[in-house]
Amino acid sequence: MQAVCVGSRSAYQRLVKRHLKSISHYAYRLLGNQKDTQDITQEVFLRLWINAQKWDSEKSKLTTWLHRIAHNLCIDYLRKHTRIQTQDSFDDEAAHSPANNDESTEETNDKTKLLREALSALPENQRSALSLCHYQGFSNKEAAAIMNISVKALESAIARAKRSLREKLTINS
Amino acid sequence: MTLEKFTRIIDLHGTETARWTKTLRGECESFVANNVEARMLLNQQWQVEESMAKLEVPSFPGLETRVLNQSLPERNRSFIEEVMNWLIPEESFGKQAWRSAMATCIPLVFGIVLGNYFSFGIGIEDDGFQYWDDELTMLSLTDYTETNF
Repeated sequence: MQAVCVGSRSAYQRLVKRHLKSISHYAYRLLGNQKDTQDITQEVFLRLWINAQKWDSEKSKLTTWLHRIAHNLCIDYLRKHTRIQTQDSFDDEAAHSPANNDESTEETNDKTKLLREALSALPENQRSALSLCHYQGFSNKEAAAIMNISVKALESAIARAKRSLREKLTINS
Repeated sequence: MTLEKFTRIIDLHGTETARWTKTLRGECESFVANNVEARMLLNQQWQVEESMAKLEVPSFPGLETRVLNQSLPERNRSFIEEVMNWLIPEESFGKQAWRSAMATCIPLVFGIVLGNYFSFGIGIEDDGFQYWDDELTMLSLTDYTETNF
């Protein structure tokens, strides 16, 4: 990271290769469509290049800092664009997801589709909290720092999200 | 243990008993064994977790190339950073190692030039040479004409 601070492009490339997957996956789980995910991911790494000197290794890990940038960009994006658009995109891409192309059972596909719908219907903070802790593997403390909320608020968001998913899947199935 | 409390634990820690708080684990397990609603809740949550585990993110084949090839703006660096980067380049260090060697020679060259112009109070002892103008004066006053006696 120090090398990126002094303008090393090769160091930047190494960082991109190391963090691209987790950042793009997090963005996708928040935005729900591939095009915007790619735009946001690109923007995250551009910001990494521009603001490298602002990162404080004593305050946070690099991955936490990058997820925070991604989180802020995604939230800004979601606030600027209509929610309906995101939800539609989730549904469109669900049809092309690997789960649907596999020879898995119809029941599994239905459940996956239901879950996608339920996830896209969650408020951003709940979706983000769930994604950070469940999929991205962050601790509650780290996830709270990324979202800039307290640990209690994060736990509350996760609990509400899980309850909501459970209710929706139970009702629909 | 109440159903509400158990629901809270499930919402926070999931269905894996190993993740439940140690102090409440035994209590929770016996509550599940004796309560139908708790078992139903656990089963529902297990189904949600199973579905979540199956939810995959599509691959982004061209994304890495796109990010790596995006044009990055030149960053305004401080003078010290510029000098340090010139001396110890981040990229292709082997090819540009001469810079460090050259920089090491700078004090040597500077010392030679400086020493050539200034004595810094160090006197050169050279008897007879120091007062050469007086010697010349004395010689000029001496009469060397040969006289015939």
